[in-house]
Amino acid sequence: MRHSSRKYKFTYDWLLMLIVFVLLVFGLINLYSAAYQPEHPSFFDFRTLYGKQLFWIGMGVFLGVVISLIDSEYIRKLTPTAFFVVLVLLVLVLFTEPINGARSWLGIGPFGIQPSEFSKFTTALMIGYIIQGERGKNISKNTVFKVGFILLLAMFLVLFQNDTGTFLVFSAFFFVLYREGITFDPILLFFLNNLFRLRLKSTWVGVHFIPVLFVLIFFGIITLYFAESEHSFAFFPGAEIPGWSILIGILTLLGIIGYFLLKQFSSQRNKRKLTTILFITYFSSILMVGTISYTYLNVLQYHQKVRIDLWLGKIQDKDGEDYNRNRALAAVGSGGFSGVGYRQAVLSSPESQHVPESETDFIFCVYGEEWGFLGSSILMLLYTALLVRLVFLAERQRSRFARVFIYSTAIIIFYHFAINIGMNIGVLPVIGIPLPFLSYGGSSMMAFLVMIFVVLKLDSQRKEVLA
Amino acid sequence: MNLEGRRLVFLLLFLGVGIIFTLRLFYMQVMDDQWITRAAEVSQKQLTIKPPRGILYDRNGVKVVSNKTYYNLMFVENQIKDLDTLAFAQLLEIEPHEVEERFEAIRKSLDRKTRDRKTGRDTIVNDYRRYLPYAFIKELTAQEIAKIATELPNFPGFYEEAISMRDYPYPVGANIFGYLNEIRPHELEADRYFYRIGDVIGRAGLERYYEKHLRGQKGTRFIISSARGKVVDNFADGKLDTPAVQGFPLHLGIDIDLQAYGEQLMENKLGSVVAIEPKTGEILALVSAPSYDPNSLVGARNIKKNYATLVQDSLKPLFPRPLQAEYPPGSIFKLIQALSGMQEKVITENTSFPCNRSMVGCHNHPTAQNIQQAVQFSCNPYFYYQVRRFIHQGKHKNAYKDAAIGLDIWVKYMKSFGLGIPLETDIFGIRKGVIPNVAFYNHWYGEYRWQWSTIRSISIGQGEVKVTPLQMANLAAIMANRGYYYTPHIVKSIGEDGPLPRFREKHYTMVDSTHFAPVVEGMRRVVEEAGGTARRARIKDIVVAGKTGTAQNPHGEDHSVFIAFAPFDDPKIAIAVFVENAGFGGTWAAPIASLMMEKYLKGSISDELKEKRILESRITP
Repeated sequence: MRHSSRKYKFTYDWLLMLIVFVLLVFGLINLYSAAYQPEHPSFFDFRTLYGKQLFWIGMGVFLGVVISLIDSEYIRKLTPTAFFVVLVLLVLVLFTEPINGARSWLGIGPFGIQPSEFSKFTTALMIGYIIQGERGKNISKNTVFKVGFILLLAMFLVLFQNDTGTFLVFSAFFFVLYREGITFDPILLFFLNNLFRLRLKSTWVGVHFIPVLFVLIFFGIITLYFAESEHSFAFFPGAEIPGWSILIGILTLLGIIGYFLLKQFSSQRNKRKLTTILFITYFSSILMVGTISYTYLNVLQYHQKVRIDLWLGKIQDKDGEDYNRNRALAAVGSGGFSGVGYRQAVLSSPESQHVPESETDFIFCVYGEEWGFLGSSILMLLYTALLVRLVFLAERQRSRFARVFIYSTAIIIFYHFAINIGMNIGVLPVIGIPLPFLSYGGSSMMAFLVMIFVVLKLDSQRKEVLA
Repeated sequence: MNLEGRRLVFLLLFLGVGIIFTLRLFYMQVMDDQWITRAAEVSQKQLTIKPPRGILYDRNGVKVVSNKTYYNLMFVENQIKDLDTLAFAQLLEIEPHEVEERFEAIRKSLDRKTRDRKTGRDTIVNDYRRYLPYAFIKELTAQEIAKIATELPNFPGFYEEAISMRDYPYPVGANIFGYLNEIRPHELEADRYFYRIGDVIGRAGLERYYEKHLRGQKGTRFIISSARGKVVDNFADGKLDTPAVQGFPLHLGIDIDLQAYGEQLMENKLGSVVAIEPKTGEILALVSAPSYDPNSLVGARNIKKNYATLVQDSLKPLFPRPLQAEYPPGSIFKLIQALSGMQEKVITENTSFPCNRSMVGCHNHPTAQNIQQAVQFSCNPYFYYQVRRFIHQGKHKNAYKDAAIGLDIWVKYMKSFGLGIPLETDIFGIRKGVIPNVAFYNHWYGEYRWQWSTIRSISIGQGEVKVTPLQMANLAAIMANRGYYYTPHIVKSIGEDGPLPRFREKHYTMVDSTHFAPVVEGMRRVVEEAGGTARRARIKDIVVAGKTGTAQNPHGEDHSVFIAFAPFDDPKIAIAVFVENAGFGGTWAAPIASLMMEKYLKGSISDELKEKRILESRITP
C-alpha cells in the first residue's frame, strides 16, 4: 500500500507486522529443515509440509486482508455470528471419528480444519463483545455471569473433544478478565455473606483471583508430589499412611495452632473476622488437597497420571513413557551455543526422527538443535517483544472491545508459547499445542494470522472510537 | 481501583517467562553437557556386522557346507497400523489367535529379573520396546518369504531382514560337520569379547572344533541411526569402522562322493566306515550309520522341530560311532600281535604253531606254517601261543611277575599303534578305547594274581580290548604305510595354511618296517588267495590287502569287522568297516570295504551284484 491519497494514512502498527513477519520467515525456514523431503526440494511444492504451510500462510493473509477491509465497527457487530458459527462447528466435531484420541478435525477429504483453533479467536471477540457495554470500572454481575457462561460453554466443548491443550489455553481468558476488573468477588461474597452471615464488601482473594489461582496451582503441584507417597511411622507399625492424609493432617494441625494463637493474642474486635478467615482458608485448603488428590489418584487415566509423574520427576523412563520429552530435551540441549547448523540436525532431522512430532508440537527442537542458544534466545526475544508490543497496543485502545480482544490475543499467544517451549525445554509436561507461527498446521496458522490482522485493524481505527 | 496498573501483571508475566526460558535454554544448551551425551547415546550406534562363516570344501574342491540367505520377518510395534489380524494370519498360514499370542510371547521373552538394590526383592523388568525391531517369525526360506513379501506393504510395521545360515548341498556327513546352535550362557561367559546373546556357535563336529577359524572376524560400523534404527549417516565418515571378515574356508580330506556312497551302503545298518589316505592321514570318509540330514538341524526352527526326535531315536543317529563307539576289534588285532611278536623276537617270520583247538576254537584250515599263513587263516591258537610267548618272556622266574613285565611291554606296543590312547582327530569327543594294562588287571585280579592264561582272550582281540573304528582305520593305514601313521584328520588345510601342525607329525610304531612285509603279505592272501577269509573284498584289477574280524557281542549277533588297504603296492586308501550285529567279518564288512575302495580308486563299481546285495540288505538289531 502506498501513500497515494492524502486522506489515507497508513495506520497499521509497523512493529507488530515486522515481528510477525520475521516469525513467519523463521518458521518457514525452520519447517523446511524439519520436514525436508529430498524428492521434493522445492519450497513451493504443495506435496510437502513447507509448501502446504506456505499455502496456509497465504490463506491466513488473504482472510486477514479481507477482514482488514471490514470496518472495525462491523467486525464488532459480526462477533456473535462468528462465535455462533464456530460454536456449531465445535458441536459438529464431536460427531466425527477420533484421530489420535481427539475429535478435533472437521473436514472433507484431505482438507480439514480444527474448529478449536478458531474458537480461541471467536471467544476472544465474544468476551470483548460482552464486556464492551460496561462503562464504569465496576462490572455488573450479569456481565460476569454472561462471560462465565460463554467461557465455560466453549471450554466444555473443547474438553469433550479430548483436546487438553486448547482447554488449558482457554484459562488464559481469566487473565483478561482480571485486567478488565471482572472479579470473582460477587460469587465469593454471595457465599460468604449468606452462609457465614458476614457483611463484606470485597475480598482480596476475589479481586486478585487470577494471581491467587496461580499460587494455588503451585501448591497444587506440591500436593501432587506427595499425594501418592506412602509413609510409615515407627509409632504406628504396619500401617502405611498415604501422603494426602498427611497433608490434610498438617493443615489441620496448622489450623488448630492458628486457632489457639488467635484466641490468645488477637484483640476482641478482630477476633471474629480473623477466625472466619482462618476457617475459610482451612476448609478451602482441605478441599483443594482433597480434590487434587482424588482426581490424581482416582479420576485420571493411567497415561495422564504417568505424564504428570514424569514431569514431576517422580519416575524416569527415558526410553518409554518419557520418550518424547527425553528426545526433545536431548535435541534442544545438544544444540550448544551456536547450534549444529541449518539442516544439520542429528536428532530432530526428518531422516532420523528421534524427536516425534518434530514438525508440529516439537518444532522448537529442530530450531533449538540447529540454531543453538544464539538462535533460541533471539526467538525468545521475538516472542517476548511480540507479547509486550501487544500489551502496549491493548493499553492504547479506547474501546473496551478492542482492548479485551488484543489482550486476549496476547495471552493466548503467550499460553501457546509458554506451554510449547516449556515442554520442549523440560519445565512443563507434554501438552500438545502448537507454537504460534512456527508449528506446521493450517488451522492454527490461519487462526493466529487472522487474530493478528484483527488486532492490526482494531488498532488502526482506535482513534475513531469514542471511549 | 486502578485497573491500568494491572498491565504490569501481564508485562511481568511475559518478561518473566521470556527471561526464565532464556536462562533455562542457556543452562541446557551451553552449561549442561548431559544432553549432548544423551544425544550421542540416542543417535550414535555401533553396529556389529556378523561375518559369514567359513565355507567347507571337500578334497576335490566341491562346496559341502556353505551359507544360504534366510529371512526374518521383523516388526516395529509402534509402526504397525490397523493390523488386520485375520488377513495377516492367513498370509502367514497360522491361526488368527496365534498372532496376538506371538506378540505376547515376544514381549514375555524380554522379561528380565532384577534385584532391587534397596529392598533386595526380585522384580521383573521388561526390556521390550515398542520402537525397536523384533523378529515375528525367524528363519524363513527364500520361497517362504517370497510368498509373504508381496503382501507385506499392506502391513505397515512389518519388514524382512536377511540372515545367513548354513546350507548343506549334500545331505550327508552330519556327524562330521556338526551343526550350529544359539550360544549358551556359559559359552557366552567364556568368550565375552566375541559372542553376543543370540549368536550361533558350532555345537558338534568340525563346526565346533574349528569354531575359531570358521567364525571369522566381526566388523563394526559406527553410524548415526534414526529412531527406527535406520542408518542416517556414517559416524565420523566411517573412519572408525572395521569390516567383517569371513571365516577361513576349510579344505577337507573328505571325498564327498565317497562319503555319500558310504552312507548309502550303510543305510539300514548300524556301524561305521572310516577311510583314510595312508600317506597323509587325511580322512576320506567317515560314515556313521545311521545318520541324519544335516539340513534338518539348520536354524532354531529346525532344531526345535527335529532335535528331540534325533535324541530320542533308539538307533542314536547323533552318536558319532566312528569316534566314540568302542568295540572289541576281533581278529584284526592279530596283525599287531604278529608284528610286535616279531619285533620283540618271540617269533620269527617262519614260526609255526599248531592249530590246537583245545585252547580256543578255530575254523577248518591247514596248519599255519608261517606268519603269512597265520594271518591268512586267522588262526586263533597260533596267536594264543604267540601272545603267550610275548607275555611270558621269561624275564622273571615268577610266572605272575613275568606276565606283568610282559604286559607292560605289550601295552607299549599297542599304544604305538594308536590303540588305547586318544587318537586326537579334529573332532571333539573321541574315545581312546581300552588296552588293558597291569594296573587294570591288578585291579580286577589283584597284584601278581594273574598271568597270560587269565587274560588270554586279548590275544585275538576279544575280552577287555576295545578299539574305536577310527583306530581300526588307522591300523589299516599303518599296515598300508608299513609302520607309521599320521593322526587321522578331516581338515587338510585351514584356508591355505595346511592342516594343524600336529597332523603333520609322522608317528612310527615300535615295529620296524621290515617286519611288516610278511604280515601285509598275509593280508593280501586274506583277500586274494583261496582260503582267505575275505574273498568278497576283491576288486577287479586292484590288489587288495585286508583282514577280517568278528567282534564278539555278548548282547546279540557278533559284529562284522574288516580293515583293508589298496592298491597293495602303492596304497591310496586304507579303510575300516564295522557293521554291528552282522556276524562274520568277511560277509558284510569286507564287501562294503571293497565297494568303497573301488569307488574311490576307480570311480565306478564293476560288480553290480555285490553292490546290489549290500544296498538291499537290512541289518538292524
